[in-house]
Amino acid sequence: MRLLLIEDEAKVAGFVSRSLAAERFAVDTAGDGRSGLEFATTYQYDLVILDLMLPEIEGKDVLRKLRKVNPNVPVIILTARDSLKDKVDIIESGADDYLTKPFAFAELLVRVKALLRRGPVSRASTIRLEDLELDRISYQVKRSGLRIPLTAKEFALLEYLMSNAGRVLSRTMIIEHVWDQSFDGITNIVDVYVRHLRNKIDDGHEHKLIQTVRGFGYTIAERN
Amino acid sequence: MTLWHSVLLGTALIVFGFSVYMGLGQYLSYSIHRTLAEEGRSISENVLVDRVRRGDDYVVRETKENYAPEIKGLFIRITRPDGSVLYRSDAPRDGSFNPAQVGQPPSGGTETFRAETNGRSGKMLVHSMRYVTQDGQVLLVETGTSYRAVQSTLHGLLLTLLVGMPIVVGISVLGSYLMMRKALRPVDDITRRAEQITSRNLSERLPTIDTGDEIERLSQSLNRMIGRLDDAFQHINRFSADVSHELRTPLTILRGELEGIAQHRVQPEQMEMIGSALEETDRLTRIVDHLLEISRLDAGEGSGEAKVLDLGELVTSTAEQLHLLVDEKEIALRYKIALGVEVEGSESQLQEVIVNLLDNAIKYTAPHGWIDLSVEAAGEFAVLEIADSGTGISAEALPHVFERFYRADKARSRASGGTGLGLAIVKSICTAHEAEISVSSIKDTGTCFKITFRRHFRSDETRERKSVPLVAESRVPPSNATSDPKISALETS
Repeated sequence: MRLLLIEDEAKVAGFVSRSLAAERFAVDTAGDGRSGLEFATTYQYDLVILDLMLPEIEGKDVLRKLRKVNPNVPVIILTARDSLKDKVDIIESGADDYLTKPFAFAELLVRVKALLRRGPVSRASTIRLEDLELDRISYQVKRSGLRIPLTAKEFALLEYLMSNAGRVLSRTMIIEHVWDQSFDGITNIVDVYVRHLRNKIDDGHEHKLIQTVRGFGYTIAERN
Repeated sequence: MTLWHSVLLGTALIVFGFSVYMGLGQYLSYSIHRTLAEEGRSISENVLVDRVRRGDDYVVRETKENYAPEIKGLFIRITRPDGSVLYRSDAPRDGSFNPAQVGQPPSGGTETFRAETNGRSGKMLVHSMRYVTQDGQVLLVETGTSYRAVQSTLHGLLLTLLVGMPIVVGISVLGSYLMMRKALRPVDDITRRAEQITSRNLSERLPTIDTGDEIERLSQSLNRMIGRLDDAFQHINRFSADVSHELRTPLTILRGELEGIAQHRVQPEQMEMIGSALEETDRLTRIVDHLLEISRLDAGEGSGEAKVLDLGELVTSTAEQLHLLVDEKEIALRYKIALGVEVEGSESQLQEVIVNLLDNAIKYTAPHGWIDLSVEAAGEFAVLEIADSGTGISAEALPHVFERFYRADKARSRASGGTGLGLAIVKSICTAHEAEISVSSIKDTGTCFKITFRRHFRSDETRERKSVPLVAESRVPPSNATSDPKISALETS
């Protein structure tokens, strides 16, 4: 998988490309809009990550020009602006997704992977993790064969964690996925729900599946 | 203004009418005097001159013929020195006086005027003069006329003035009122528009009036003032937007590099330190987000799509999502929600207001306390109240709670992860929705936030409907607003 990162801030470009490389992506970087557009129209990329504020050619114009040549390549926008109008503009000018700075790398990774596997997504009706089993159709959760009753929110939270098993999900990601965005940054509701979920899933089991990663968020992972 | 104008105009017209009346009376009286004197002289010089030569019959005939007193309405009498009447005119056609009743001439003087009462019509004026004929006889020539003509003229004038003046005054007052209103309407316009200008629509301008007068200059200088305010506000807003934007880039780098370190194999205690640093970057990010949000709200942008929302439904569905927080502390969440109370606004922002206030209430309410959520209609307004039995806010802190970075309980609120901007955002959102927010609190007893929205009415709704909202009073929210049935079941238990 080959990605293009168009970002003028060298340090941002540095850690994003390093982290993506660690996830076994091949990453090219361009430091301004002109060379970025040149790269994007010359080579075949599986995905483009585009900063909006760029020298030479603005990100918005890069996107518009790129879309004329290649309407299909997935584009994720990085933006420091997050007003509603900006978001609408971004999507309307042909971006597939956007991410507001600063972002957790895990979030960028989730979005990159989501866009790359877009198309036929096989969503198994049952997700398994060790002895934990979640059935998306019957809304049932079992651990060691025993049924665990969950509320709708707890179920949504667990499903989100399990379908991203092994990956650390930030509170922002969890809120955006399970709640409304108005809750972001105000309440500690995620922590409370995770605690409740943990009580139901992990209580009485020697191996705790749900882990807190300080500063990052939560993850559900197999024993390694 | 109009009243003053009409009083002034009325007085001026009355003075004018009075002087016209008096002046005309004077003039008419003078002209009668002159006419009578001239007639007398004319008779003397044209007719009486020939009396000696042609005899009395000639005088009578000539006078009758040339002066036709019956037609002119004049009284003419010529008397001989012995007192016998040489000629006396007949009654005038209009019968304004009776010639026979005219009194005797005065004995002395060569030329006199006298007023007499005569006939039905009252006064008449008689002029008498003496004429010495060629044979030395002194003849008395009298000419007279009734005042009737003068009086009827004056009467007519008076009538005209009495009837006409109110009409003239009325028309003029009405005209001036309309004109003044036309002239002042721009001022009304300016006043109305100036009232509507707030910090969020400073780009608007007042209508300028091309009258070339003081009003035009007033509107122009008001507009220049608004322009300067606009510049100042834009400067402030651009500044805080720029600041927020400039802060995001280093925050992005900071976060990215910290995450990068964590990717390598690090000791658990180092991981703790990285985690702690990441938490702080998150907090900084939230502060930047909130500052940016406030500056956007204050600049009047980003209010999102406004739509009609059922306030009660929004409150219950939002509170539902926070139920676990309430249940953890075993706080009783009580609802008193009037149904069908609608407001217009951005759903996400109003939800943010509710989340902020409710989260505050939960934070500051001790376990086993209570929180009351109420939505009710009050005429034109929709009132949302969030009251708690929490720690309360001291009287000194109360006026400052909506200020940015103000922390009533410093240590505690920072420890709970707040940015110190929550209530400032709430206030900004309320202002953007033209809603009033107020807070009352008693230390150690509880706090109550009250938001008064302008209610939204559907066009088909009648006015009466407003005052009779359906009130659902219960400890559980209406079930249609429940998004998580199991949680609400928990709440009732």
